Amino acid sequence: MTARLLLRSAVRVVSSRRLFPAQAAVRGMAAGGIPTDEEQATGLEKVLLNATKKGTDPYSMFKPKEYAGSKEDPHLVPSIANKRIVGCVCEEDNTAIVWFWLHQGPGQRCPSCGAHYKLVPHELPH
Amino acid sequence: MAHQAHAYHMVDPSPWPLTGAIGALLLTSGTAIWFHFHSTILASLGLVLTLLTMYQWWRDIVREGTFQGHHTPPVQKGLRYGMILFITSEVFFFAGFFWAFYHSSLAPTPELGGCWPPTGITALDPFEVPLLNTAVLLASGVTVTWAHHSLMEGERKQAIQSLTLTVLLGLYFTALQAMEYYEAPFTIADGVYGSTFFVATGFHGLHVIIGSTFLAVCLIRQIKYHFTSNHHFGFEAAAWYWHFVDVVWLFLYVSIYWWGS
Repeated sequence: MTARLLLRSAVRVVSSRRLFPAQAAVRGMAAGGIPTDEEQATGLEKVLLNATKKGTDPYSMFKPKEYAGSKEDPHLVPSIANKRIVGCVCEEDNTAIVWFWLHQGPGQRCPSCGAHYKLVPHELPH
Repeated sequence: MAHQAHAYHMVDPSPWPLTGAIGALLLTSGTAIWFHFHSTILASLGLVLTLLTMYQWWRDIVREGTFQGHHTPPVQKGLRYGMILFITSEVFFFAGFFWAFYHSSLAPTPELGGCWPPTGITALDPFEVPLLNTAVLLASGVTVTWAHHSLMEGERKQAIQSLTLTVLLGLYFTALQAMEYYEAPFTIADGVYGSTFFVATGFHGLHVIIGSTFLAVCLIRQIKYHFTSNHHFGFEAAAWYWHFVDVVWLFLYVSIYWWGS
């Protein structure tokens, strides 16, 4: 009796499934159902992902660019404010670094070796 | 994160280091009290607090990484270094037990009968269950790699199936070891043979249980769509840990079960 009831309800469940197929959750169906970073990254991870695609470096993750330090090709120092502390090594073997404030404006020179520096505004995504 | 000029994760204040420290203190002192005075109250309290801390701390990390996007590429690199250092420390932990084993077995003292296994000890046959265990762990190393490649290729179904298989193989190993312990003709109190055997294989068994739990959490997270084809360090850390446990077993098998019998 119980077995027959169980069997009957099981048959009913199976047949109703066929009439109304359950909608499977569709997510990240790029290939086999696992999302990609593009589909699922969020927050800072997503900001970085988009910046990397555009080739920009809002969080200073790339190797610093090199400049000659001359008047024509000054060291460009990105800053989120209107001034930033700069450390100039002057000559590559020097062990004492010359620190000074670089302010917004036409540019400044290292007080020791005279290398040219210029502050450039740096935008943060937020 | 509103105005930070870097890609690192500035963590929020969290109660879990404090509750974890209290839990660890209660667990160790509670275990000592259990051994000396047969009262399990403090040890149970410590265990519950430690487990609650582990659950909630890791839950927070999943939230930060998967749902808040704090695990940027440089942060993931830090997690990689952290896991490598942790596994390195685990290698040295086991190196200590192997040292104890070889110290005692390479030049057995007269008290042992000058031989290894010591006089009166019947060692387990390495070509019965221990060999099966070796096969089980090696197979689980294959299935976890299958799961990783499925994840990277975006094959959800295969990733879930192979990860399930890996967890099941881990549970099978634990069950076989439990049976071996139950049927072993010697105990942890049977001199230096029993001590080195059960401490080394016992800690390995504990690590298998931890690794299986780690992989099971990854399976749940995989089912819940936490991992992307590119960002799934939680899974990779579990796989690294699992391979480590696998390699430790190979050394245990060759040294203690095979050479040592």
